Amino acid sequence: MNKTLAAFILGIIVTALPCFSDGGNLLVKNGTILTVTKGSLPKGDLLIIGGVIKDIGENLKAPEGVRVIDASGKFVIPGIIDAHTHIALSGTNETGDVITAEVNMRDVIQAEDLAIFTALTGGVTMAHTMHGSANPIGGRDITLKMKWGRPAEELIVPQAYQTLKFALGENPKQASRQVFGGAPQRYPATRMGVNAIIRAEMLAAKNYMLQWERYLKDTKGKNPPKTLAPPRRDLRLEALAELLRGNLVARVHSYRADESLKFIDLSKEFGFKIVCFEHIPEAFKITRELRTEGIGTSVFVDSWAYKVEAAEGIASSAAYCTKNGVLVSINSDGGERMRRLFNDAGKTLKYGGLTEDEALKLISINPAIQLGVAKTAGSLEVGKDGDVAIFNEHPLSAYARCEMTIIEGDVYFDRAQYLKEREEAAKQAEEAKKPGGGQ
Amino acid sequence: MSTLKKMSALMFGLWACAALSPAEFLPAYALVNCRIVPVTSPVIKKGIIIIRDGLIESIGMVGNIKIPEDAEVIEAQGLTAYPGLISAHTNLFLEAPKDQQPGFDEERAPSRPLAEKAVQKPDLQAFELIKPNRSTIDGYHRIGITTVLVAPEAGIFAGQSVLLNLNGENPGAMVVKIPVALQVNFVSERNSYPSSLMGTVAFLRQSFLDAQYYSSYRSQFARVQKGMKRPEYDPFLEDIIPYVIEKKPLIITCSNQEDIKRALRLREEFNLNVLLSGANEAWRVVDLLKKAQVPLLVSVDFRPPASSLYSQEGEQEKKKAEKDIYPANPQVLAKAGLKFALTSFGLTDPAAIQKNIREAVKAGLPQEEALKALTIVPAQFLGVDSILGSLEPGKIANLVLATGEIFGDKTEVDKVFVDGKLFVMEKKPAEKETIKRPSDGGATNAEFGVAGFPKPGQ
Amino acid sequence: MTKKILFFSFILCLTVSVFFGAEDEAAYMAIKGARIIPVVGEDIPDGTILIKGSRIEALGKDIPIPPGTKIVDASGLYAYPGMIDGYCYLGLSEIVSIAATNDYRETGRINPQVRATEALRPDSMHIPIARSNGITAALVAPSGGLIAGQSGLIRLTGWTPEEMVIKKSVTMQIEFPGLPGAGFRRERAPREDASKLVTELQDMLNKARYYQKTREAAKKNLLLPYPEFDDKLEFLIPVVSGELPVMISVQAEKDILAAIQFVREQKLKAIFYGVSQGWKVASEIKAADIPVVFGSLNDMPPSWEDGYDAIFRNPSVLQKAGVKIAFSSRSAVSAKDLPYHAAKAVAFGLDKREALKAVTISPAHIFGVSDTMGSLEKGKLANIVLADGDLLELRTNIRKVYIEGKETDLSNRFTELLDKYKSREEKEK
Repeated sequence: MNKTLAAFILGIIVTALPCFSDGGNLLVKNGTILTVTKGSLPKGDLLIIGGVIKDIGENLKAPEGVRVIDASGKFVIPGIIDAHTHIALSGTNETGDVITAEVNMRDVIQAEDLAIFTALTGGVTMAHTMHGSANPIGGRDITLKMKWGRPAEELIVPQAYQTLKFALGENPKQASRQVFGGAPQRYPATRMGVNAIIRAEMLAAKNYMLQWERYLKDTKGKNPPKTLAPPRRDLRLEALAELLRGNLVARVHSYRADESLKFIDLSKEFGFKIVCFEHIPEAFKITRELRTEGIGTSVFVDSWAYKVEAAEGIASSAAYCTKNGVLVSINSDGGERMRRLFNDAGKTLKYGGLTEDEALKLISINPAIQLGVAKTAGSLEVGKDGDVAIFNEHPLSAYARCEMTIIEGDVYFDRAQYLKEREEAAKQAEEAKKPGGGQ
Repeated sequence: MSTLKKMSALMFGLWACAALSPAEFLPAYALVNCRIVPVTSPVIKKGIIIIRDGLIESIGMVGNIKIPEDAEVIEAQGLTAYPGLISAHTNLFLEAPKDQQPGFDEERAPSRPLAEKAVQKPDLQAFELIKPNRSTIDGYHRIGITTVLVAPEAGIFAGQSVLLNLNGENPGAMVVKIPVALQVNFVSERNSYPSSLMGTVAFLRQSFLDAQYYSSYRSQFARVQKGMKRPEYDPFLEDIIPYVIEKKPLIITCSNQEDIKRALRLREEFNLNVLLSGANEAWRVVDLLKKAQVPLLVSVDFRPPASSLYSQEGEQEKKKAEKDIYPANPQVLAKAGLKFALTSFGLTDPAAIQKNIREAVKAGLPQEEALKALTIVPAQFLGVDSILGSLEPGKIANLVLATGEIFGDKTEVDKVFVDGKLFVMEKKPAEKETIKRPSDGGATNAEFGVAGFPKPGQ
Repeated sequence: MTKKILFFSFILCLTVSVFFGAEDEAAYMAIKGARIIPVVGEDIPDGTILIKGSRIEALGKDIPIPPGTKIVDASGLYAYPGMIDGYCYLGLSEIVSIAATNDYRETGRINPQVRATEALRPDSMHIPIARSNGITAALVAPSGGLIAGQSGLIRLTGWTPEEMVIKKSVTMQIEFPGLPGAGFRRERAPREDASKLVTELQDMLNKARYYQKTREAAKKNLLLPYPEFDDKLEFLIPVVSGELPVMISVQAEKDILAAIQFVREQKLKAIFYGVSQGWKVASEIKAADIPVVFGSLNDMPPSWEDGYDAIFRNPSVLQKAGVKIAFSSRSAVSAKDLPYHAAKAVAFGLDKREALKAVTISPAHIFGVSDTMGSLEKGKLANIVLADGDLLELRTNIRKVYIEGKETDLSNRFTELLDKYKSREEKEK
């Protein structure tokens, strides 16, 4: 491939960026607007001013200077939200220890990861990117908007829940080592060990909190003794203390129904909140408990049978759980699948018989609720962020393709523009090949 | 052994070397008729520099300076005299790092997991690892570099750097300042803790917190004594405390823009005295750096870091960025009014270093800024500006005599003075016999082609 | 007495006639009222398919139906030919990470002697799942190394391997190196240099020719030495004789060109697999008259410069250049997703009708069974799918799947587990 063409592709990616202000202004006109929460408009307009949805309706007028995007024949949905992935990070797991609650994905955001651009090509505007599942307690995760080309700090969604990653089952117990050998087997090597070590850390955290409480009380007292010294600050235990105080919420990677139930018991034993179980192919077996405890799930729509603990997954689990009162989101766990989340949602129409709106919720308002950003994202409503994806067909159709992705009123992906620039670059490459032509 | 004790032993050793070995005879020199660029004062079109005992005795216009009787006169018509260039961060002369075995935590009962902490040696002295050699020194002389900071390279707390004048192969005689700063890197080892960048950040924070805690507990114990549990002695924390409490300087290597942000966050959280090194992506975070007012040691290694978009795009894009984008880093910083030094960190071939410095100038960095960034600015950042970094009477006689503007494409270095010792750049680097003097490290003037006495007409 | 005999013989005749008559009557089945999409020929908006035994007897708008034909009411439904997967591991893999359940990758580089159908597990839980999404036949193929072994064609029904196998040897699998993935995939150098591999293959094929020639000659002339049995060359003879086509897995542009030249020089019948940079050399592939089976479209482009949609638009470019194309799932677990790869290609430019052909008649052609399957035509096997919508659409439900005239069971692991746990919810209500 010619250098010039390559340079243009790079150019498209890097320079085809919007002119930034504090959020953009756009009028999306004449599209089929699927708000997801407030019904659909077969032919409607959506106005974004200052990055926020100002109005949704018919025959809206564009204020002066506002770019108009013609969405005739197209479908307009809320920007897709992926509640569980590992993109845009320099590193996934801290494997040097078993409990690593002190690490924070916020410290290793990689805003130039090509996976962000790839996500945009699939209509994704927000992603919760996480520590991996190598440890029973991993680290703090972060929610990012896919603002390609912006510095890392601007991607952070400040109002999202602060989350802490837990993992159960084969991955943290390193099941593959038992089979294939290699480095010495570390503790814990069983599910009972995984639970035991989590319990031990929680107790250590409680102990830590108690020591600090006592110290603070003592220093406030009448005559604090000269010998009174504070406890040592421990970042790992502090993170767990934050969980116990309710300032962090747990996101728990689990597969089997039984290990999930046991973890619910653990969470009650110590009084911390589980927002979602991640993956949990066996969720359909315990809809009752999930519903009662108010715990959601964030799942693949139909990946299964890749490990023993995934051997009892079914494709209709997401739909079945939804119908039985569980808050479900569909995730990608990676970069390639992220751009096909709308296809995954489409599968729930067939596997489980969800309605179109129910299916779309799995990739919009549901993950928004799970991430704690439902006030500002997850559906097309006046007052919410102007995060929008535009498709050439109904997004739940297998023939759908994302045409444009908009975050807070700025266009971050425009397929028509992308194709135009690619064609230009190809023409230039041809010219350059001619003798004496081009550069 | 505590750092204090080690340093004392080292200083005694150095002094002893200097005191006990016979003083090397250095002639006094008078460089006449050259153009002089002192850096901290105006250019002298035609001047004289007098060098004696390794120091600059006087500088001035021809006619204003009397040439001493005992000085060897060096005709320098057509040459320009500059202060010797300083590269404020290198890994020169470091021998292969010794095998660092991660410590196995045997103490932990079976119900605690194996956690092998990576070995950290903040008290490791670069001085103990270096083995200077003349051919490397000759190569650096040829591009005008007379002073280098050598920092250890392995580990998160890699050790203590040393500032060396490239005057020979006797390390003791080369030391200008020791130690200079603690070297910190955002690295990790696969099979120990931390094994990832996120772990390294957490580990650094925890280490600094522990140093604060340990220091304050230790002081309290020293005051109170009775009734308090005595602190457990921790040599690692002992070594870190001077940097956290007494604010001794740290150099943090930043290979990309996010590293710069990470370093600045640490600096803010613990109020550290930090210099940022590498920083070839500083151009992407100029506003942040303006606010931070932090000393920058900017490398002329223009290879885009692995995390950058250019590197992800493939070899072609990466090379293109290396040629067209990253060399503009220094000029962007200069335009923004940021104070920075230029270093050769990451590059080892002197020809490449020279080429890249010239690339930076071609990309828009004004020559005067480039010169300052290689002389007085690094001297200030490293705290040696009272004795190095410009041509002033009383300062160390490190000079470069060049055939033209120092960053000009055709310019060559004709002669170099380091600590008042003359090095003539031969057209072909010649292999000369080693003349060993008793009780000397072995390196003498004779090895460098000319026994201190220039031939007429040179 | 006579009355009794008469009565009993009457009952006997009736029973016998009912018995035999029922057989004759049940030999015919008619699917009525469906919108028929035969793939070859025009759609029939409201038609009937008449099936006799395992074959399609007739199909059309108004066709005569013999008395006693079993009628299947398909009003409101669409009738399609059953789909054919161009490359999968159905029956060769249960749980991907458990080696004991995987039999598609033999150890070593040169394995022409192994046959995928000889590792087939008819009880695999993935087969009913794929079948219940309208897939009725599949190429099961080994992979790995340079020569991976022989693929086979199976029907997705049967109690034993024998009942499943349609053709036990369809292609010889050859694998050229892959390409490191683009962008955020970890960069890996290709395993081996393709040109070296071509030389190695050429040598082997020449040896096989010589081996065959010597053997033939020795058979005729007892004085000539009869060559020692060679367990690799023996199985390459069908390749060099032109009986057994090769399926070459190849991705990079220059490797595709090298493979085309190789195939031409060796005078082999060939099919290309994967071909992720095929869009760059579409006319060369067409000129060589080589059909292409695509790998999974759920993949990143082979090189970032190819564009984010390279894999998606590849089929359309090749098809428009005149290349015969087919799709595959390259999976056991995800074999059910075959139609959605075709649909993804439609989203990026492939004609809808061509997409449908690429999962039905085209793979049938490519694997040499187009006279018996791949379309709804008189005389072909009654592999019929009744769906409530577009076969390639995500939301479509499959109502019935017939393989060779017999209705198949659509229950599978998914439905069994769901039913089991539905009962838990229902009990508590």
